[in-house]
Amino acid sequence: MSVSPPAPGPSRLDELSCLESMRRGDPSCLGGFFEAWGDRLYRLSLRLTGDPAAAEDVVQEAFLKLMAGAERIEGRSRLATWLYRVAYNASIDRLRDRKRTAPVPEEGDDGAPPMPALLVDFLSPEEMLADAETRGALDEAIAALPPSLRAAFLLRDVEGLSTAEAAEALSVTETSLKVRLHRARLLLRERLSAFVAGRGKPRGGRA
Amino acid sequence: MTCQDLVRHLSDYIDGTLAPEDRAAAEAHLADCDKCHLVLDTTQCTILLYRAAESPSLDATRREALLRRLEKACRGVDDPV
Repeated sequence: MSVSPPAPGPSRLDELSCLESMRRGDPSCLGGFFEAWGDRLYRLSLRLTGDPAAAEDVVQEAFLKLMAGAERIEGRSRLATWLYRVAYNASIDRLRDRKRTAPVPEEGDDGAPPMPALLVDFLSPEEMLADAETRGALDEAIAALPPSLRAAFLLRDVEGLSTAEAAEALSVTETSLKVRLHRARLLLRERLSAFVAGRGKPRGGRA
Repeated sequence: MTCQDLVRHLSDYIDGTLAPEDRAAAEAHLADCDKCHLVLDTTQCTILLYRAAESPSLDATRREALLRRLEKACRGVDDPV
């Protein structure tokens, strides 16, 4: 089973010259730029904040900062890490605002990775995704991760950034990114295993 | 390689970033250890599940409104209204 990540982002648009023209006040390619990046940033922020309004706000903030910024962004990879970094930081700010009384738990990078405890077979991803309860379990499992682990997993495994790019977007070292990713994968696997094991038990009245 | 070593190296194994001798040791362990094989399979499946799951996107009306706001802001960069 191959799990090589997808290519990072659509590239039909010449995003860097588009950025230059947006910064000169010409919005003619903003639509295409938004098409390429709007949903990607929204998804990340929604997974981090759990709040559609906050996620929309984060997308707006990232675009406004990008258009107003003066620093040169060299290369598509830099553009991706820049946008994801702004969206990540803005999402974490909103989480902190919301949880002033209970600070956002951060995951330390040290310590042994969690050892797998539950060993149950999964069906194929296609079969599992056909089921609404499984999709709900996926949402719950990722929402239960600390945001720093969630972001590492989403950027590397879902959005397809390289380790170096994801580390840069989250302002951590590559080593730290790899530790977070590893923990995130094992924790998600464990939670999904618990869900699968729970479903396998006979339940009274099940249709 | 023990089960604990395998789990420690699991992400590097999946990402293809293990040194060749560690990869060979991991493969030898996986060939003999059903439990670790299951952990590998379910971890890979976990990644594929999240990658394939449909992600929510901005709804069309809000998306259009946001784009209009951004266009306005963009024009305002050099030419404030």
